[in-house]
Amino acid sequence: MDLQGNVQVEYGRFEQIVSQFLSKSLHIILDSRVPSIRPFGRSGDLLLSTPVKKRDKWFNLVLGDRPAAIDNLNFGHRNLAEPMIIDIVLVQEVPDSSYEHRLTTTLGLGKYVETVIERWVVQYEYIRTVFPQVGESSASYKKTYKKSIILMRSLYSMMRLLPAYRAFRKICSSTQASDFDINYKVSSFSVPFSREEEEAMKSYNFIPIDAPQGRLSISVTYRASLSDFNLETSTSFPPQIITDYVGSPATDPFRAFPSSEKGVSATSFPLRGVQSPSSTPFHRPHSWTSGLHKISPLTQPLSGSPPVHRQSTMPYDCLSPPTNTYGHRYQNSTHHRTTSFDEHQLSPPFSPSPPTYLSGGNPLKTRMHSETAPMSIPCLMMGRSPRYLSPNLSDPNRHSLPPLSPRSTKYDPSSQDSASGIRLSRKSDSLRAGELHSGMTNHYSAQKVLRDGKDDSGRFSGVLSSSSSPRIGFSRSSSRLSFQDDLDDFDFPFIVDDVDTSDSHSSQNLDGKKGSEFTSQVFSAAKKSQDAAVGALVHVLRTAPPLRQDSSCYSPRSSKTELEGEVDAASQFFVPRKTSDALEELRGYKEMKDLLLSKSRTRVVVKEP
Amino acid sequence: MNCEVCQLKELEVEHFEIREVLRCILHTILFHRALGLVRPKDVDLELFEITYVQCGDVELEKKIDEKIDQFIDRVEKHPNKKNQICLSFYEEKKQAVWFTNRVERLYWEQWYINLNVAQQPKSHSGKSHYSKVVVDPGESALEERSHRRAALEASLREVLFQIIKFVNEKKDHVPPIPNLEGVSFLYEITIPSSSDSAFGMDMFKRMLQTGHPTMLS
Repeated sequence: MDLQGNVQVEYGRFEQIVSQFLSKSLHIILDSRVPSIRPFGRSGDLLLSTPVKKRDKWFNLVLGDRPAAIDNLNFGHRNLAEPMIIDIVLVQEVPDSSYEHRLTTTLGLGKYVETVIERWVVQYEYIRTVFPQVGESSASYKKTYKKSIILMRSLYSMMRLLPAYRAFRKICSSTQASDFDINYKVSSFSVPFSREEEEAMKSYNFIPIDAPQGRLSISVTYRASLSDFNLETSTSFPPQIITDYVGSPATDPFRAFPSSEKGVSATSFPLRGVQSPSSTPFHRPHSWTSGLHKISPLTQPLSGSPPVHRQSTMPYDCLSPPTNTYGHRYQNSTHHRTTSFDEHQLSPPFSPSPPTYLSGGNPLKTRMHSETAPMSIPCLMMGRSPRYLSPNLSDPNRHSLPPLSPRSTKYDPSSQDSASGIRLSRKSDSLRAGELHSGMTNHYSAQKVLRDGKDDSGRFSGVLSSSSSPRIGFSRSSSRLSFQDDLDDFDFPFIVDDVDTSDSHSSQNLDGKKGSEFTSQVFSAAKKSQDAAVGALVHVLRTAPPLRQDSSCYSPRSSKTELEGEVDAASQFFVPRKTSDALEELRGYKEMKDLLLSKSRTRVVVKEP
Repeated sequence: MNCEVCQLKELEVEHFEIREVLRCILHTILFHRALGLVRPKDVDLELFEITYVQCGDVELEKKIDEKIDQFIDRVEKHPNKKNQICLSFYEEKKQAVWFTNRVERLYWEQWYINLNVAQQPKSHSGKSHYSKVVVDPGESALEERSHRRAALEASLREVLFQIIKFVNEKKDHVPPIPNLEGVSFLYEITIPSSSDSAFGMDMFKRMLQTGHPTMLS
């Protein structure tokens, strides 16, 4: 009995070792691959002064707090004989249709390409052999433990040697959003790689550790090189994206339309300037793209290379089609789409549910092409106003997107700007038909949906994170999902009703008018550079007719009064003319007067002899 | 236990690269052999895109740096092409031999790091016996340098892989882990004296010291 009890105790300890082995290896892997899994504030170097928790001492390797996602997997109760397969997934947005075969999700504007760059298999291979003796098992589990300590060390080192580590570091170190993101999936089964994928991959098997009735093994299949993915991060964008933002979106996005082959996204504001060989215009802003990228692990769009198809920043573009239609679209679309809409504003973010962002995408695209010019206005306007930026800048999640604040203000009137923006958008509902900036209004109507969607996305993240063995776990934080909140911060000061008639519409507000004028003028003028666009904008604002009328009349009047004072016969001269003319005339009269007076004096003098 | 020996792949380094390369390799080996409780610390190399892991032990860092300084001095004094640095792990056993208690070192693992230091003299003050460096700042020289640098980075990566492989393959000879934090085993870093006769003589000396290889645990 005793013997059996001992065996059971020993086996219980062994099971504990196996369970901890699985969770520790998962911790090591995720900690070095998935940036989002790290709790905030955790730095690479563990604080020496922090007392080490007991459970962190397993395998004599202190890693810090275990992410909640790992706890959720509940290793204590899972079937230990099941392999734990961890897929490290590189998420990129690629507009190229040739990647279609690899698409896992299709978004309206862009397509997410998820590529498994590493596959780790950690398992306890159960080999039923002779039932272990007591003494044997006691010694063997200690040996197993010792060897697994060494194995954990080499796993930790190996994580830093494989190519994916550089990608991870790029994301971590970049203050702005990256073009890509890394996510993970944990499951007990996996889809085998295709042949071409396998050819690009290498594998490494750690030497298995003998264990009672089996062995512990870790193996990895990894992509030998990630150079194909053009992973870039923009680290050069300063926080004051606004200044950059103002100019660029205006001109380029429009150009993008004709060239966007897919028509997938109307806007393709390039999320990041990085890879777009084609146009700098699409490189917009880092401001747009970057912020979104960091919003959520999944959604972080890769504004990668083909900026043209970036959805993000041109939300308006998407909205260009008649508001009614568009609004309907949005209303009919799932919350996912609407969230994506938000994303678009900020940058090509991908909401947790792949935004089919322009949910009905294609028809909109064509429209967008035609109406690109006005679309950019809202962007420009946004860029101009620093207030849009301020609420967001403080948000740690944000990355340079001015208007977005991932956890921010929600859709409540807490920020005045956003509230006013919302109000404006609502007012504009009546003016929707066929106007370029109606897109903006659509945007706002979409905001409502987005708002609703927020809860869903939050839920979604919850579901994702709590993954047990057969489930797929996505790393994502709910706070990042709330892009729709960003819309709130997004002010659309210049909601323009009608793009074509720049003078007539003062419907919503003066801003709107200016916006339309601005749009047409700006886009036509400042095509090349931001500076030019800024200059054009300033010029437009300065020369806006309503503000100038009074002042323009000012000088003639003043000159007129002068004339009246001086010369009786000035009435004939009351024509608008310059003061200098009047002064000259005055001088002429003076001379005549003097002449006459002098003549009369001489006559008098002559008469008095 | 046998004394397991690992000869690491030879690396072609320039003088200014010695420190980083040695730090990387020595710390990596020690990280895998410091089986007590450690708080790993990631360190990025400046010259290469490689990240290695340290144990987070300050004392260890100091010791390693001291040894690297000694090595660099040795390289300067003996500008032979091949230089070696040896990291050994041992256990101390007290042996009573003829009324004396002798502490005997039983080496159970040895690592040989082989460096081929380029002869081009670097800007080292005070060393006049180096020939003048004729560096042609042409494009070809720069290209060559970057090629060399890339090759060294690849080789260094290979060496690190080699360490991991060795550590994984040979586990049985590792003694039981004492209940210590950090570096749990006794170790020493030595610089074999003459590179010409290096390997064979050193091994022989060590074998004499350790005596008959015995099972340690």
